[in-house]
Amino acid sequence: MRSFTSVGGPEDHATTLSVWGGPKTLFEEVTLETHRGVQRESAGGRRQREAWEAGAWTSLRSGRPPPRRAAPAAAALPQVMTMSDMARDRMAHSLKKRTSVSSLSSHDFRRKGPHGRAKDSVSTVSYMDDPSQHDDASHLTVQMENTYQMGPTKRFPVAIVNRILKDVLTNYLQEEQYEAELCRQLTKTISEVIKAQVKDLMVPRYKLIAVVHIGPRTSQSILIGSRCLWDPKNDTFSSYIFRNSSLFALANVYAVYFE
Amino acid sequence: MEEYHRPCDEVGFNADEAHNIVKECIDGVLGGEDYNQNNINQWTASIVEQSLAHLVKLGKAYKYIVTCAVVQRSAYGFHTASSCFWDTTSDGTCTVRWENRTMNCIVNVFAIAIVL
Repeated sequence: MRSFTSVGGPEDHATTLSVWGGPKTLFEEVTLETHRGVQRESAGGRRQREAWEAGAWTSLRSGRPPPRRAAPAAAALPQVMTMSDMARDRMAHSLKKRTSVSSLSSHDFRRKGPHGRAKDSVSTVSYMDDPSQHDDASHLTVQMENTYQMGPTKRFPVAIVNRILKDVLTNYLQEEQYEAELCRQLTKTISEVIKAQVKDLMVPRYKLIAVVHIGPRTSQSILIGSRCLWDPKNDTFSSYIFRNSSLFALANVYAVYFE
Repeated sequence: MEEYHRPCDEVGFNADEAHNIVKECIDGVLGGEDYNQNNINQWTASIVEQSLAHLVKLGKAYKYIVTCAVVQRSAYGFHTASSCFWDTTSDGTCTVRWENRTMNCIVNVFAIAIVL
């Protein structure tokens, strides 16, 4: 597994954190990247914590920087800012507890580019590496009011999302050859791009999970499966597999209705 | 109309607990086995179903998505990334990587809170 031994140090994860808020809804975005490697236990967790506190970057960022969406912090509602602090602290707190491979160790907070399509929402970017903002309100969770709705007003458009997945994968991967470092970056980039495009569909009250797998087309065999425990009336998923001569890519988007 | 207040015994998703549960499920299904094309379907299905069943037994108010990828060990790599748009105070994820002599297994668990 030559491509993985070259990456030493903390766990190979990246996180981006941003808050997309509107008058009624408030969600946080989290991007996680994992790749196959040896399971690491507490030593990795300790390294991860140190790297995180130092705001260190791992060698993941050596490849070409993925395109980022903008995060204009304009006219943030007071609740939005509180939420982002609270959420960030919660995230910080929950991350510090994790010593297994599921935790995060590097920070990816560069977001540039125009993002102006959401009319009634604000977007802010918060960094993972400032533990100084400790708020007592961080332990409170947001209490949601009753919506009195029986179901979603707009259903998740599976066919449109299928097309989005197809377009994104084809555009990014049509001419590419499988290379370890490049594909590492590409998986993260593509998952973020997919999430951004599906968010732009503005389907209200849906939480999104975009998962991307990329691997080489060699004689090895792979099977990828998933099961979901959810409400099948409202929740759904969308999937697309892309193949070219040297690699394959699978993109899944799970949409979970927030009742 | 009264609001239902969730019991505040634990806020957020407990990734360690999920990690242990999933690791046990994988050990149970794949432990001591070699990569076998004929069984692989059945193995992934068992891993995913057992993980889900155990997660549900925790009794928490969560929706779960469990993804499992099993790859034959070779000189080549394999990349997975995920990007999530959710409420980070209540939702969470956990990834378990497992390997033996002939294969690698990656299981992702995503948990999304239900507000009752």
